[in-house]
Amino acid sequence: MISSPEPRTAGVASFRRKLTVAMMLVVSFVAVSILLFAQRNMADGVRLDFQREFQNELAALRAVQAVRHAALAERCRVLARKPRIHAALEDGALDLLYPSARDELLDVMESDEGANLEPGAYALRALYYRFLDARGRAIPPPNARDVGELGPGEESQLDLARLPDAPQTGYILRGAGTPQEAIDEVIAMPIISSESGETISAIVLGFKPSALGGGNPDAWIQGGIWLGGHLELPALVGQGLADLAARLTSAIAASGGDHGGFEFSGDGTPYLVSFKRLNPGSLFPAAYEVSVFPLAASISRLHRLLWEFCAAGVLLLAGAYLASHFLSRRLSAPVERLAVDSEENREHWQRAEAALESTSEELQRSARFSADASHQLKTPVTVLRAGLEGLLAGEQLAPEAREEVSALVHQTFRLATVIDDLLLLSRMDAGRLQIQFSRLDLSPLLEALLDDLGALPDVFDLEIDADIPPSLWITGEKRYASLILQNLLENARKYNHTGGKVRITAAAQGDWAVVVVGNTGPQILAPSQAHIFERFHRGAVGENVPGHGIGLNLARELARLHGGDLRLSRSDGSWTEFELRFRLARGPA
Amino acid sequence: MTPLGTCRLSALAAVLALQGGPAFAQAVVEGRVELPKMIHPPVMNKRYGIVSYNGVLSPYPPLAVIYIEGPFPRPAAEPSAQMVQKDLNFQPYLLPVQAGTRVEFPNLDDTYHNIFSYSPAKRFDLGRYRSDERPIPSVLFDVPGMVTVRCDIHEHMRAIILVLDTPHFVLSDPSGSYRLGGLPAGRRVLKVWLDSRTTLERPVDLADGSTLRADFP
Repeated sequence: MISSPEPRTAGVASFRRKLTVAMMLVVSFVAVSILLFAQRNMADGVRLDFQREFQNELAALRAVQAVRHAALAERCRVLARKPRIHAALEDGALDLLYPSARDELLDVMESDEGANLEPGAYALRALYYRFLDARGRAIPPPNARDVGELGPGEESQLDLARLPDAPQTGYILRGAGTPQEAIDEVIAMPIISSESGETISAIVLGFKPSALGGGNPDAWIQGGIWLGGHLELPALVGQGLADLAARLTSAIAASGGDHGGFEFSGDGTPYLVSFKRLNPGSLFPAAYEVSVFPLAASISRLHRLLWEFCAAGVLLLAGAYLASHFLSRRLSAPVERLAVDSEENREHWQRAEAALESTSEELQRSARFSADASHQLKTPVTVLRAGLEGLLAGEQLAPEAREEVSALVHQTFRLATVIDDLLLLSRMDAGRLQIQFSRLDLSPLLEALLDDLGALPDVFDLEIDADIPPSLWITGEKRYASLILQNLLENARKYNHTGGKVRITAAAQGDWAVVVVGNTGPQILAPSQAHIFERFHRGAVGENVPGHGIGLNLARELARLHGGDLRLSRSDGSWTEFELRFRLARGPA
Repeated sequence: MTPLGTCRLSALAAVLALQGGPAFAQAVVEGRVELPKMIHPPVMNKRYGIVSYNGVLSPYPPLAVIYIEGPFPRPAAEPSAQMVQKDLNFQPYLLPVQAGTRVEFPNLDDTYHNIFSYSPAKRFDLGRYRSDERPIPSVLFDVPGMVTVRCDIHEHMRAIILVLDTPHFVLSDPSGSYRLGGLPAGRRVLKVWLDSRTTLERPVDLADGSTLRADFP
């Protein structure tokens, strides 16, 4: 154990805590950003909606005004074509002008019973009328009671600089300075000669203006009229009205155009004020329609929206924190497991390392032992052989004994071969065998080995078949390459049967020189195939086959040291094949 | 009417001459009046007999009334004339009459008409009536002057009755030619009425049996 469980748990907990905090921060940032964005959008939307609603409302009210105006204009137009009025003007009978008009205007003029009329009809009733002479001045009526009375300062407001060619809308201030101060709407309708098209006079009718919002104090939009610094707005009184009038006067002067608007805070209540010229291009003085729209509703709506957003935000954040908490727990779980695993892994690794170390030591020890053993063994074998050969050279041995001794000498050769192989193996195990690579032609080597094979006493009467190219250049060391091939050929000869066959083919395949050694003989069964290259393995062959079980192992190890390989490529029925690969030598021969 | 005595006598003689046949040789004035060009007012319908332009009422197509300035004595019997309403027009649209003439206004249309005038020379209002109205509504024009006659129902209908203080008057033909016969001899003023603002005049010496040529201008 490298670390105790407590610090590990603490580390994981700290990781989890940090993860939670980081996630919360990210979530908070994202949530707040989204909320702010949405809130601004919504607020803009609400404001826009409000303005649109306001504009629509205004437009609707103005449409009503326009309809009324058109109706009035039409009445005036009809009136202006009346022959009696024409006659009075054209035939020099001005004394008959107002009396004639009285009859014609009977339905237009407001009468005492007008109070009982419905408001729509009332709106079309005139309060007074006057005709204008050729210079545009109001012609005084013989009897003002018939045509609606006007004060002297009021009648002169009807005068125009000239007779108009088209209907003119104007506004006049009545009862200036009195509590009854009011603004009237007047329409000047030219009276045009039907033949010549020239304007011979004009009739000016005065009306009570129809207020925006219908004069209803609870209406959403309150309307009024501004005329020459005077403001008539029933919704406002006192100082607020005066302030707004002053503000309007400056705003209208500053606007220079026909319309404008501003926000105004009268007696603490915010208003949206919009003004629009009522009579653009008129010969009468400019008058403005003033619409006052309390923002209280809009502001409270925005406030409510803000609160809703805050509540939604708190809920969202709480949800997000909860989610991030759970998420961080889930995310940190694999990390926790990883921490545990890595702890276990480290233990495993340390154990494996220790095992490896001991194995390596053992291996080295065994390799050293093998090398030592080989050296220790070679000397006595040599001594033994020399002794036995000495005996054979002597004359004192009986022929039977000689035969025995000769067999013993032969055994010493076998022993020496085994010792050489063991020595080689031990050198390889100890990593001390270095292949001296050089270019090597495999073909003559194989030919020579096949020759040697043919020279050996042949117990099985084998048929040897070879298919070898004239030259096959590989990289390798001749000694070991030869040893490998020798081992293979030896095996092919050894594990055979009478009248059997050995076939050797060599060919270049891609980067490889492939030598296939096949022979008839007993099949190597599948369970054994996996083990034939192991050291000291000798298959299920009978003990009558000479060998010590290290040949194939040695051959494969050497082949691999050459960068090639050796494998059993086929073993079925009575045919076994080994495939040996060397690297082809590159470059020119 | 200052030189009353002799004038009355001669006027009487003239009336007698007019009514009693060729007892005396009488003077004749003839000639041609240069009528105003046919202008086309901006808003004009050819049906209009009287058009107004720049405040001037003039017959259309142009006609002139040529007359010897009075005063002459009123006729003993009340002369009468007619101005009919036909096809929503007055016919004739320019009617000269001697003061004291009763003018009838028969309605020959199928619709109502309402003849009235606000002219200072004669204000009247005949009210609405149709063609079957009997007696035919009439008005006595006893004050000399120009009377614009209108219809209250049809705003375009207009006519002029020129009330003159003389029995010696004639309407020119559309080319402006006129012949005014049966005139008493003497030094007179020949007048030509062209429109509500224009009356030309020229002194003439009329001799019995003579024919005087007088072109305007």
